[in-house]
Amino acid sequence: MSAIPTSSGPVRRGGLDLGHWLETAAAWLLAIIWAAPLLYAVWAAFHPTGYAARFELTAPLTLNNFVAAWHAAPFPRYFLNTVLLVTFVTGAQFVLCTLAAFVFARSRSRWMGLLFALVLVQLMIMPDMLIVENYRTMRALGLVDTIFAIGLPYVASGFGIFLLRQTFMQVPKELEDAARVEGCGTWAILWKVYVPLARPTYLAYGLTSVAYHWNNFLWPLVITNTVNTRPLTVGLAVFASTDQGIDWAIISAATLLTAAPLLLSFLLFQRQFVQSFMRAGIR
Amino acid sequence: MQMTRRMALGGLAASTLIAAPAVRAQAPVELTFNYPVAVGGPITKVIDGYCADFEKENPGIKIKPVYTGSYQDSITKALTAAKGGDAPDVAVLLSTDMFTLIDEGVVVSWDELPGVDKAWTDSFYPGFMENSRTGGKTWGIPFQRSTIVMYYNKDAFKAAGLDPETPPKNWAQQIEYAQKLTVRQGDNVTQWGIQIPSSGFPYWLFQALTTQADVRLMNAEGNRTFYDDPKVAEALNYWRDLVTKYKVHPPGIVEWGTTPRDFFEKKVAMMWTTTGNLTNVRANAKFPFGVAMLPAGKKPGSPTGGGNLYVFKAASATKREAAVKFAKFLTAPERAAQWGIDTGYVAVSPAAWETKKMKDYVAGFPPAAVARDQLPSAVAELSTHENQRVTQALNNALQAVLTGQKETQPALAAAQAEAERILRSYR
Repeated sequence: MSAIPTSSGPVRRGGLDLGHWLETAAAWLLAIIWAAPLLYAVWAAFHPTGYAARFELTAPLTLNNFVAAWHAAPFPRYFLNTVLLVTFVTGAQFVLCTLAAFVFARSRSRWMGLLFALVLVQLMIMPDMLIVENYRTMRALGLVDTIFAIGLPYVASGFGIFLLRQTFMQVPKELEDAARVEGCGTWAILWKVYVPLARPTYLAYGLTSVAYHWNNFLWPLVITNTVNTRPLTVGLAVFASTDQGIDWAIISAATLLTAAPLLLSFLLFQRQFVQSFMRAGIR
Repeated sequence: MQMTRRMALGGLAASTLIAAPAVRAQAPVELTFNYPVAVGGPITKVIDGYCADFEKENPGIKIKPVYTGSYQDSITKALTAAKGGDAPDVAVLLSTDMFTLIDEGVVVSWDELPGVDKAWTDSFYPGFMENSRTGGKTWGIPFQRSTIVMYYNKDAFKAAGLDPETPPKNWAQQIEYAQKLTVRQGDNVTQWGIQIPSSGFPYWLFQALTTQADVRLMNAEGNRTFYDDPKVAEALNYWRDLVTKYKVHPPGIVEWGTTPRDFFEKKVAMMWTTTGNLTNVRANAKFPFGVAMLPAGKKPGSPTGGGNLYVFKAASATKREAAVKFAKFLTAPERAAQWGIDTGYVAVSPAAWETKKMKDYVAGFPPAAVARDQLPSAVAELSTHENQRVTQALNNALQAVLTGQKETQPALAAAQAEAERILRSYR
């Protein structure tokens, strides 16, 4: 450092640059590690099978893998099923969790603490452990092999209630009082004061919930029997038949097909997602 | 794509065979048939075809095939459904799931079913029945069964100065050949001599080595294992030596799923894998390849593998009767032959190999018969009560030794101790 004494400006900038540079490099490194499987999938999906494990810039490009994957399973139906599933689950979770969280956040009953603890217990139990019990319930309700049955056990989400309750607790009481003075009823207060203020939480929770149910595999497989109800993940399992060997090119193409809508929506949402948090932070 | 077409054709071919006129109508019975592939795969078309043909032949019976994913997912789904009071009627599950299914009390033995006689259950290869019978009862009917065979690259043999028509016959030759077939460029190996997959279920491939070392891993009652037998250690040392001493086998854990791919890309000259891969290899290997019986140690040998047909207890009397008809239909010689040709699984009865169709196929493609010829020396796949945990103990030991984390003796002793602890209550 002392070797460049001419002016202090460039040196300081140089130091800053170095820190900045390191930070950028670290960010890139993490990004590349994170993206490596995805990049590999893109590579394998767009090239003939023979190039799945070889890297050659001149390798011929092809869309055949996508065609083969598309025809190997009824993907349009699976897409529809998955979209219906996540819409139903996330929608129902929003309604139920909002109502529950509102009560937990604002009720003064002394039983609330105990009840809330009971709700939190749900977070400690792996959903997979309840598979047999859930199956019995769905069978008793006559819902086996329906999209409804895939989502129903997840509708009352302890995590969602917890998250929204914490957010609602932070809403200043004065805002609620002011709304009441303006003549709002309880429903209107919930709808016009609490829900808008919790928008970032809804977005964050909605994204995690959608991603979870988009990817969930075991329960949908167990509770469904036919093409008409099965989601994408179960459809994707076609390609994992290890008895016959794995074709990475086709499996990559199929993975991209199933992940694309989710990936795209995350990329599109990302700006809004981050902004929501920032706005919440500024308040 | 080629495989898809062949399988679809197979389904068509099978459907034309059955033109039997409809028998008299009965009260409709619906059988739920769980089959372990995911929806939409090429095999589902063949299975759908079989179901349709069966319904045509038996107008009173409807078959509802449910595709249940991998074997692992299938047993989970079947057990969950059975506990939830919604068991399937018939299911194809691993032959090794037999003890689990019996312990859970969800399946019924074939001997108790109407219309089952000993002549039929004895018509299958005894090697396959080892895993289908216990305590004098038949619990599973072999359907999609396999063994391990060796595939080798004939071009690589020629390049190494070996005769492409004589694969290695014994353990010593296997090492010798593998040494000649391993191609190095400096420190890099561009072609390995041999590859034995060790991911997922290494115990299955290891069992070939132990059988060749003339030792059994478990007893027929499925309540005792012999992991700490010195001959087991001998078998494991042989495998480890391929990696560490002779350096002819890739180090670390070798992926099961990508081993055929490594073979196609000439990264390995000889591979051990299931006969279920035969159709895949035939379609994708761009060089002449050979299929051979596994080289013998003290004796030749391989475990069998694959899936059996089970009938669930919850099925009503009429459904049980229909289930027997369906199983007999699926395992009839002509169909078993066609199924073997379409998939590479070993046709399950000697009668199937006597059909004209199969004889023609073997004449045109001799490797198809290797698995059958190996059957006399085949043993039951490792299967015990609490199968998952008992085999996992061995899997952990194998992987620890192959990756150099543990020595053979202590690793196997630990696995045996774990298996003892689990199995003690079943004696």
